[in-house]
Amino acid sequence: MDAATIRGLGWKYGGRDTFAITDVDLSIPAGSFVSVVGPNEHGKTTLVSCIKGIIPHSFHGVWRGQVEIFGQDTRSLSAQRLAQETGFVFADPEAQFTSMTVEEELAFGLENIGLSLREIEQRLSWVSALTGIDGLWDKSPYEISGGQKQRVAIASVLAMKPRILILDEPTSMLDPLGKDAIFSILLQIKRETDMTVIVVEHNVEQVAPLSDLMVLVYSGRIARAAPPAEFFQDCDQLVEHGIQPPQATMFLDRLRREGAFHGRLSARFEDDLEALKALLGPPAGQGTRP
Amino acid sequence: MSSETLIRASDLVLEYPDGTRALDGVQFEVRENEFIALIGQNGSGKTTLSKCLNGILRPTEGSVRIGDLDTRERGTTKKIVTKVGYVFQNPDHQLFNNTVHKEIAYGPRNIGLSGDEVERRVREAAKVCGLKEELFGEHPFFLTKGLRQRVSIASILAMRPRVIIVDEPTTGQDRRQSVEVMNFLRDLWEKDGHTVIIITHEMPIVSEYARRCLVLSRGRVLMDGSTREVFGSPEVLAQTFVKPPQITRLAQALGGYGVRRDVLTIEEMMAEYRRVTSS
Repeated sequence: MDAATIRGLGWKYGGRDTFAITDVDLSIPAGSFVSVVGPNEHGKTTLVSCIKGIIPHSFHGVWRGQVEIFGQDTRSLSAQRLAQETGFVFADPEAQFTSMTVEEELAFGLENIGLSLREIEQRLSWVSALTGIDGLWDKSPYEISGGQKQRVAIASVLAMKPRILILDEPTSMLDPLGKDAIFSILLQIKRETDMTVIVVEHNVEQVAPLSDLMVLVYSGRIARAAPPAEFFQDCDQLVEHGIQPPQATMFLDRLRREGAFHGRLSARFEDDLEALKALLGPPAGQGTRP
Repeated sequence: MSSETLIRASDLVLEYPDGTRALDGVQFEVRENEFIALIGQNGSGKTTLSKCLNGILRPTEGSVRIGDLDTRERGTTKKIVTKVGYVFQNPDHQLFNNTVHKEIAYGPRNIGLSGDEVERRVREAAKVCGLKEELFGEHPFFLTKGLRQRVSIASILAMRPRVIIVDEPTTGQDRRQSVEVMNFLRDLWEKDGHTVIIITHEMPIVSEYARRCLVLSRGRVLMDGSTREVFGSPEVLAQTFVKPPQITRLAQALGGYGVRRDVLTIEEMMAEYRRVTSS
């Protein structure tokens, strides 16, 4: 079953002359991990806002086509229902904070939907362990580091157990350690849950290895949608569309064009390294290896 | 490297009022026409150091000298801004005038230059930054982030500083925007002879643009050397949680084949591949 089915989707914000996205057709299988990439201002956030349903529910504009979430048209679902189906994490975690302590921030949504105390406790300890924020419960969400803020933001959305989790550039404000922590949380979510994850991200090098499907949004259209093993076969097209494939992948692409390499480009560092080692044969002085 | 020293930090210690020792004995010299990257994990002291280099922060111990100015002395601020410019990470923290022209003119006017000279500086800085005169009447708030960043750089350049410090020039930008701002900084360095210092976490940007890296950890200098030396020392970088760019890591993982450890670009990796496979 599809988590989201998009047919002929177009959206023009009120007051604008042109459509932000147009002619979008896309199927997102339930439980898949999808990365949405593309230059800024080309429609990535608009697309995920349509999946989340805040477009057209909370915006004025011109709508075309159809978006279904688990088989139901988003326009026929209530805002409350949509909020339960899809969780949303922003680039700036402070945008979603409303409470004085991390614990309240985590429990707020759960109390709102009337869960039992026992259920709330179970969910809090689950998300807290998964995102590594056990020691932060008494702190103000505004006083912790940027990386910790983003982990709290993800935890509070995860605790609601949405069927679809959407993250819009969750690592863009973080330093490398903070980014690594978010990507390892995303990997755990992928492994431990059956959530459908949709992440808008510029960091192709780190997000590609997690992805089942890569979607390139360019000029309001879907320029390419494919699993990583196919998505990166045409590096030139990606570069033309403002995407920088990982350097090791670019290097193998060069070798392939010179006829020295005939394999596939995976955009996964370990795979690219193994492909290169296979090409070079055993290192000198180490004898032959099978 | 016989060129003139523009800034000299000696035994620099900076303690914040809460007792945090953000810099703990830093020696650092900035010379004429350099392109330097300050790197290290968050909290390593990058931003604190850069704010000491232009006198926003004054040393707790040790000294920072900018030419013949000592930043500990009172009344040096107006002289410093003509020597060292600082561009904030978020242009919106810096822009406060209601037109592009007023924004760029603010600094020169503030140091008491004549109207004609202010006008000349505005046009010069705008031209270098690729800001057309049609934009002079626009409100900075309604420009794209890339253009707002250019306006904030122009407002700094209008003071004609020889050193320009840019805090995280590419954060939150896509690939094209990053290349655009970095190529622009490279032109300031290469064509106009400025010294450019960037603070960044993006190592591919460092290897592509910077010629020298200062690696910081816990307020101390771990390493100060050419970009090639620094990325060729992954065990030093690991101490401050910095990873070399992927192409360098690929080369280092192929050390058993005799590949150089300090490859910086895909071109260099191609050359190494050819060398290794032909021998």
